[in-house]
Amino acid sequence: MKSCVVLTIPSDPQYLKVIRAVAGQVSIVAGMSVSEVDEVRSAVDEACSNVMKYAYRGNTERKIVVQFRIIKDKFEVIIEDDGIKASPEAIKGRDLDDIRPGGLGIHLIKRAFDSMSFDKRKKRGNRLKLIKHTRG
Amino acid sequence: MTVTLKEMNGKKIMALAGEIDMSASPLLRKELMALVKKKTDPLLIDFENVSYIDSSGIATFVEGLKGMMAFGGKLKLAGMPSGVKEIFSFSKLDRVFEIYGSIDDAINS
Repeated sequence: MKSCVVLTIPSDPQYLKVIRAVAGQVSIVAGMSVSEVDEVRSAVDEACSNVMKYAYRGNTERKIVVQFRIIKDKFEVIIEDDGIKASPEAIKGRDLDDIRPGGLGIHLIKRAFDSMSFDKRKKRGNRLKLIKHTRG
Repeated sequence: MTVTLKEMNGKKIMALAGEIDMSASPLLRKELMALVKKKTDPLLIDFENVSYIDSSGIATFVEGLKGMMAFGGKLKLAGMPSGVKEIFSFSKLDRVFEIYGSIDDAINS
């Protein structure tokens, strides 16, 4: 099975609920368990929130393109923007034992997906690829 | 997300409903920190009707807790649905927050 859902949303936090709804439904189609669906929904929300916050610095009039791909034994989510380039080496969550605001989002993304990487070939903006291995 | 302020048995309760995400967190922060600034003690948060929370919501509560601790106040969280509670435990914040099964438990604590 191979299928793809593509969604473009404005970089406005009000649209996060739309992306969560779609992420949840596509995860169900991909055959994930209830807890996996919740984790994917949360992870995609966090990744898109990061685009709004860091790549677009709060500008709500840009766009974010999210692709959900169901491929035989994996589930991929690709999130693209044309904002400020991320520094992957600078992206690290807080130590979970260090109780302070912030730094949790990256843990929620890594909890749901087996790998996350930025496509270095993308010249302008960012292309974040999240992969979760599935039972196929 | 909606925020309703009420009082029961002389205790201030902030009842939240809906989804707490990056679009809702600024309102939550404004309402929560206003009560912290007034040194409302104890301050109870009713999560019964909260269906989702993201890292920005969690960060807001951590900030609120730090503000309460600064004057020795108690911030008590209650009535969390399992999905919301799971995020608090994943982030190990169930160790630092006082979490109660229901708002009645928090009122009677």
